[in-house]
Amino acid sequence: MHALIDRARRLAASAVVGLGLSLAFIGAAVAGDFDPPPIANQPSTEHHVGKMIWAELISPDIVGAKRFYGGLFGWTFHDVSAERNQYAVALLDGNPVAGLVQHPMKSGEHRQPSWITFLAVQDVDAAKRTVVEQGGKVLREPRTYNSRGRQAIFADPTGAAFAVIASYSGDTPDFLAVQGSWIWSSLLTHDLDKEAAFYQTVFGYEVFDLESADGREHVILSTDDFARASVNAFPADAQHRHPHWLNFVRVADAADAATRAVSLGGSVLVPPRVDRHGGKIAVIADPAGAPFGVMEWNDADGLGEAK
Amino acid sequence: MSAMTRRLTLTSAGLLLIAGLGGCVAGVGYDTDVAVGYSPGYIEPFGYDYGGWGGGYHVGPGRGADRRAAPSPSHSYRNAPQTRSVPSIPHGSDGRRGHR
Repeated sequence: MHALIDRARRLAASAVVGLGLSLAFIGAAVAGDFDPPPIANQPSTEHHVGKMIWAELISPDIVGAKRFYGGLFGWTFHDVSAERNQYAVALLDGNPVAGLVQHPMKSGEHRQPSWITFLAVQDVDAAKRTVVEQGGKVLREPRTYNSRGRQAIFADPTGAAFAVIASYSGDTPDFLAVQGSWIWSSLLTHDLDKEAAFYQTVFGYEVFDLESADGREHVILSTDDFARASVNAFPADAQHRHPHWLNFVRVADAADAATRAVSLGGSVLVPPRVDRHGGKIAVIADPAGAPFGVMEWNDADGLGEAK
Repeated sequence: MSAMTRRLTLTSAGLLLIAGLGGCVAGVGYDTDVAVGYSPGYIEPFGYDYGGWGGGYHVGPGRGADRRAAPSPSHSYRNAPQTRSVPSIPHGSDGRRGHR
């Protein structure tokens, strides 16, 4: 009897170890098999550190997201799913503009779908060291993907999440974004001073503080003598909010985009309003709740004066 | 080492391996979410609130003629020289690539 019990215990212990090893191999396979595609069809030799060159949507419903963003911006989609990774590349006239990542969410759960902002770097590991030295956190360790390049996801010292990427296909060239593609990114935060210093250290931005009509601080982050992003202190009564990056897609008409977004199942978070450049912006949530902005920009107005 | 000790050691090793695997696959999501393969999971806290944007609350870029704030020595960041004008976003179209 004792021998039988002893044998059963030995088998159970072996099973636990075997299960652990199996899970380790399965886990590695699941994470390692997936090779996200390049962020551009036509490789660029340009490198623009600190420029937002990619975005990925984490959503519980990428089928619904395709319907929404396709209807709103005319994006088409190419599925590159593998194993448990359901991934789609959003295309604008055949050119990649974003990635959509399916992530499960149980009914009744409160998770926040969101767009992750990818900022260009030359060296992801060096960026990681600087992020950590400056008080940031690593949310996703640096990893190299065969087709795309090396990337990682961090949180800045106030908790805003962002990604960095050293793209094998180079960085998006410095031309005006066409309608339906990303044109701008803003970091909304409760500690502008700390954030601007952090991002300046990580990406080498020039920081331009702007005269403000509302008493709040606003700065522009610049590299290569182009504005890359803004950092905006939250409104005075909104210090409890969570700092985050917000990306904007260029549209012809922000009011029309907001109306169409609602008809497609989205919601308007900030109604269309005139912004600094003279055109309108709006902030919208997709049907799953991921926020993003739309922005008008008329290049024909010329530089140096607002509409 | 007794048989019982060996079994306990093996069991512990197995459990540690499983825990380690979980740590490798999971991201450190603010939602205490678990990453699945490529996905980092839901890394933002639940809920956004965008109210309170008054008339002067501007988040977009300017067109190269924005006025700089008065110099302040108290910032943690290095402010660009006051003689530099605020840059705008890239302009012009990319004829080679059509759209990007």
